[in-house]
Amino acid sequence: MSAIFAPSLPRPRRILAIAGWAGLGVVALAVTMSDFLAHAPANELHAGPMLAPPSAQFPFGTDLVGRDLLSETLHALSVTATAGLEAAVVAILAGGFLGYMSAHLPKPAGLVLHWAFAVFAAIPALLLAIVLIGLTSRGISALAAGLAAAPLAFVRAFDRASRAGGARHADYARATGVSASMLLRRDLAYEFRDMFLPIVARAFASVTIILSTLSFLGFGATPPHRDLGLMIGAAWPNYLEAWWTAGFPALTLVILILLARLAAGLDEGERP
Amino acid sequence: MTALVEINDLRVGRQGSATPELDRFSLTLSAGETVLLLGETGCGKDAVLRLLAGSLEQDQEISGTIRFGENDPVQAATRPTNPLRVAYVPSAALHPLSPTAPVAQQLTRVIGHKLRCPQGAAREELRTALERLAGAPPIGMLDRFPGQLDNATLCWALLAAATAVTPEIVLCDHSFADISPLVARTLIGALLAEQQRLGFAVLYGGRIPQAVARLGARTIVLQRGCMIEEGEAARMMSGQTHSYTRSLFHALPQPDAGRLNRTSTRSEALLQVQGLMLQAEKKARNAISFELRRGASLALVGEDGSGRRGMARAIMGLDRRPGRILFDAVDLNLLSEAMTSRLRRRIAFVTSDDAALDPRMTLWDVIDEPLRVHLKLSRELTTGYREAALKRVGLASHDGRRLTVAALSAFDRRRLQIARAVVAAPLLVVVDEPLRGLDAVARATIRDLLAEFRLEQQAAFLVVTADFAVARALADDAMIFHEGRMIERGPVRELLRAPRESATRALIEAADFGPLSRAAEAV
Amino acid sequence: MRVFALRESGRLAFGLLGALLLAAAVSALSLPGAHEGVQGFLAAMASRLLAYATFDLGSSAVSGLGAAQELIARGPTTLTFVLQGIVIAAVFGIPPGLLSGAASLRNALAPLGQFVSAVPVFCAALLLAYVANRLLGPALPGTPVALLPRDLAGWSQIVPPALTVGLAGMSAVQVGLRRASVTLEDAPFRQGLGRLGLPEREIERFFVTPVVFAGLLNSLGEVIVALLSATVVAEWVFHCPGIADLFVKSVALRDWNMVALILFLFAATAMIADFAGRIAAHAVAREAA
Repeated sequence: MSAIFAPSLPRPRRILAIAGWAGLGVVALAVTMSDFLAHAPANELHAGPMLAPPSAQFPFGTDLVGRDLLSETLHALSVTATAGLEAAVVAILAGGFLGYMSAHLPKPAGLVLHWAFAVFAAIPALLLAIVLIGLTSRGISALAAGLAAAPLAFVRAFDRASRAGGARHADYARATGVSASMLLRRDLAYEFRDMFLPIVARAFASVTIILSTLSFLGFGATPPHRDLGLMIGAAWPNYLEAWWTAGFPALTLVILILLARLAAGLDEGERP
Repeated sequence: MTALVEINDLRVGRQGSATPELDRFSLTLSAGETVLLLGETGCGKDAVLRLLAGSLEQDQEISGTIRFGENDPVQAATRPTNPLRVAYVPSAALHPLSPTAPVAQQLTRVIGHKLRCPQGAAREELRTALERLAGAPPIGMLDRFPGQLDNATLCWALLAAATAVTPEIVLCDHSFADISPLVARTLIGALLAEQQRLGFAVLYGGRIPQAVARLGARTIVLQRGCMIEEGEAARMMSGQTHSYTRSLFHALPQPDAGRLNRTSTRSEALLQVQGLMLQAEKKARNAISFELRRGASLALVGEDGSGRRGMARAIMGLDRRPGRILFDAVDLNLLSEAMTSRLRRRIAFVTSDDAALDPRMTLWDVIDEPLRVHLKLSRELTTGYREAALKRVGLASHDGRRLTVAALSAFDRRRLQIARAVVAAPLLVVVDEPLRGLDAVARATIRDLLAEFRLEQQAAFLVVTADFAVARALADDAMIFHEGRMIERGPVRELLRAPRESATRALIEAADFGPLSRAAEAV
Repeated sequence: MRVFALRESGRLAFGLLGALLLAAAVSALSLPGAHEGVQGFLAAMASRLLAYATFDLGSSAVSGLGAAQELIARGPTTLTFVLQGIVIAAVFGIPPGLLSGAASLRNALAPLGQFVSAVPVFCAALLLAYVANRLLGPALPGTPVALLPRDLAGWSQIVPPALTVGLAGMSAVQVGLRRASVTLEDAPFRQGLGRLGLPEREIERFFVTPVVFAGLLNSLGEVIVALLSATVVAEWVFHCPGIADLFVKSVALRDWNMVALILFLFAATAMIADFAGRIAAHAVAREAA
C-alpha cells in the first residue's frame, strides 16, 4: 500500500504520507457528515449565549452572535476543504500540467511561455489572487487562488521537465527512435505514478493558505458560506477577549494544512 | 622486509547480520611490498581497506588482532588508530571529490591536513608530486572542477595527492579500474616507480584479473568474505587452483574462445560514413569515410579523447558534425524528425553509461517499450518476448513489474540494455565500453551475452572501446583513433599480428593479452 | 563567471520587461478604451507604456496624491517590515538551516519547520498579537516609529508585525536551505573526502556549507516573495499603512493604475533579489558546466 503513496519518497516519509492521507480521509468524512455531526445548522444565530467560553455544552464556545463555534467550525471546514480541492485542481492543471507540456513544445514557444509565467511567479500569489478577484468577483475565489498558485507550479514543472528532457537517458532514447511524443508520455506517466498524490497534497496545502488569507482580508468567501478564514476575520475584533472565537477555527485550519503537508511527505518542493 | 601491518583472524560484520563481511582474514604487509586483494563486489576487500584507512563504520563489529610495525598486537575491536602514514587512492569514477570546488583546492586541503602544513606549502607538495609522475598533468589543469576533467586526469591527481604525503602504506581502492587499459598501465607504472623511490607498501583492491598481470603482485583472492586462494602473480596467471579463481580468470580474453564467423562481404551497406570531420579544423585529409555492412562488425578503438566516441555520437545523431551519415542508404539529417525516429528504431545500444536508461522505468517497461511502441505487438506476444529476453540475460528472477532501473546494479543495468536490444531486433547495435566498471565474472557474462547476440541475430555491431581485448571479442574489423584522427584500419587479426602505428601497438600491449598475444603471433 | 553574469542580466532584463508589460496591461484597465475589444485594450496598454516612459504615473484613488508621492510616503513602512523580516529570517533561519546539511539533524528539525510554515501568516499575526498583548500589554496604535521602543507598549507595537513577517521569511529560508541539503544527502564526495583523510568538520565547513548557503542564495527571490506576501497581512492586521496596505485598498477601489505600479514594484524587487542571489550563489559555490 505504501507504494501507492509517493513511491519516490524515502520510507519514513512515505509512512508520514500515509498518516497524512489517513488524516485527510477523516477530514473528508467530517466534511461529508458535517450536517450530521454539527449540533446546529450553518450560521444559526443565538444557539447559545454570546461569547461563551468553551464548556461541556459548547466545546468550542460561542461567538459574538451566539453561534455554536464547533458547528460553525465544521461547516466552515467543509467550505474550506471543498474550495481548497477546487483550487488545487486548477493549480495543478494550469500550473504543473501545463508547465510540463510546455517544456516539450518547440523551444521558442516554450521559452516564451516560461518567460510569461516567470513574471507572474515573481509576484506573491496572494496579490495575484486579490487582483483576479478584484477584476471579477469574490465568487471565483477558488479559481483565483488556483490561478494565482499556478505560475510558480508552472515554472517548477517546466524546469523539471526540461531537466528530464536534457538528461542523458533522453538522448539515448532519441538516438534509438523514441519519439518526442513518446518521451512526453513516458515523463507524464512516471510523474503521475511517482508524484501525483504528493503534488495534489502540496497544492492543496498551498491554495488553502491563499484561500483562507483571501477570506480573512475580505476577498474570499462571502456569508452565509463562511470558511475558516472568514470565521477568523469575523472574530478578529473580539478575539483578544474571547480567544476561542479565532483560536479554534485557526487551529482547525492549521491542522488541515499540516495534514496536507504530511500527505505530501513533508515535501515543500525541496526535492528536485 | 619489515612488516608494517600484521592482521590475524580478522572478522568484520554488521550488527544484526548473520553473514560477516569478512571472516578469518589474515595478512602481513611489509614495507615496499605490493599485495592485490582480488574479488567481486562484496568479497570483503573493502572492509580491509577501510580498517587500515580508519574509516570503518560505527555499527560494524570487528574481531581479530592487528599489529602495526614493531608495536604489540592489539584487538581490532578497539579500533586502534593506525600510527602509519596512510594514503588512500579511490576510483575517480565514484566521484570522491566535491563537484563545486576545484580539484587542486580539495587535494591541497587533504595534503595540508595530513602534513599539518599551510595551504601554500601543501599546493607546492602537490605540484612537486605531479612533476615526479611521468605523464601526469600540470597542476594548473587541476584548478578546474572535477566535472571538467576526465577520469584519467583525476586518477593522476589522486595518485599525486597520495604520494605527496610520503606515505608508508598506499591503499588503492579500484583506483585504476574505470579508465582505459593504456592509461591504467601508465598509472600503475608511475605508482610502482614511486613505490621504488619512497619504499611504501601498496594494498590494491581490484575486481578484474588484469590487475594481477599489471601489478605483478602477491594476490589474495576473496569470495564472500573468505580467503579462497593466495599466490604470486606469475603462478596465478599460469594456472589457478580454486574453481572460483578460475572463473575470475575466465574473464581474461581467451585466444581460442569461439572464433567469430566472418560475415560475407557481399551484404548491403547498412551504415555509410562519408567525409566526417571530428576535429574543429576542417582538413580534407582528416575526414573519415567508411562503410559497415549488414551483419558485419567494426570496432572504433582509441584512448579517451582520441575521437572514437565523437564518431559514435555523430553516428547516433547526438552530435552534429560536418560530413554525411547514411543509415540504410538514407541521410538521416535530411529527414523529418518523425521519419528519422522510425529509422532510428533499428538501432540499439549497450553502454557503460549508468544514466543511459531512464531510472524511473521498471524492468518490464524497459523491455516492453520497443515491443509495444515500435513493433506494435499485442500484450500476449509482448509478455512472451519479455520473459524470454529477461531469462536469457539472467534477470528473470527480479521483480520486473516493480523494480526500477534506479535500484539496479551496474551489471544488471548492462544486462537490461542487452535484453532491450535483443527484443528490438535491431539492424545496428552500438556497443560503447560494455565491460567498463564491472567485476570479473560480470565482464565475462556481458562479453559472452554480446557475442551470442551477435552470432544469433546477425545485427551489425559498432563497438566503441579503448580496450583491444573487447574489440577482439566482439568485432572482425577495427579502426584505430589517435588525437582526433583515424590512423589505421583493418581486420582485427591483422592489426594484432602487424600493427603499423606505435599508438596501435601501445593499445594492443595495454590489453594484457598474455596468452592471447602469443596466439595472435601464431595466426 | 562573466558569461553567467551576462546570461543572468539578460534574464533579469527580460523579466523586468515582462513585469512592465504586465503593469501596463493592468493599468490600461483604468482607461475607458480598454474595454472596447482587443484593439482598444492594446491601444490603452500602449498609452500606459508611453506614460511610464515619461514618468507619468498618475495618482492614487486612496489619498488623491500622486502615485509616486504615495509610494514614497508609504514605502518606509513596507521597507521596515521587509528588512526586519530579513534580519529575523537570517538570524533564526540560517543557522539551523546550515546545520541541516546533516541528514539526521535535518530530519529532526523538519517537522518543526513544517509546523511553522503550515501556519498561515494571518493566524501567526493574530497569535503574536495576542501573546504580545498578554505579556507586554496593549500595543500603541498606528505605525511603529521607533526601532528600539522605550516602553512595553512600544515593544508590543513593534514585535508582532516584525515576527509575523520574520517567521514567513524564516520558513522560506528553511525551504531554500533544505533544498540544497537534500542534493547533498548521499553525495559520494562526503565519503570520498573522508577516506582521503579529511576530517568531517573540514568537509562540512569547506565543501558542504558553501553549497547549502549557495542554495539559500539561489532561493533569495522566493524568500523576498514570501516576505512581501507576509507584509500584506502584517500591514493589514496591525493597521500600518504601507505599500501592501495601499495595494489592498486600491484593488477594493478598483484603482488599477496604482495596483499595476505596486505589482511592478513587487515583481521587480523579487526579480532583482533573485538575480543578486543567483550571482552570489554562483560566486560562492560554482558548479562546473
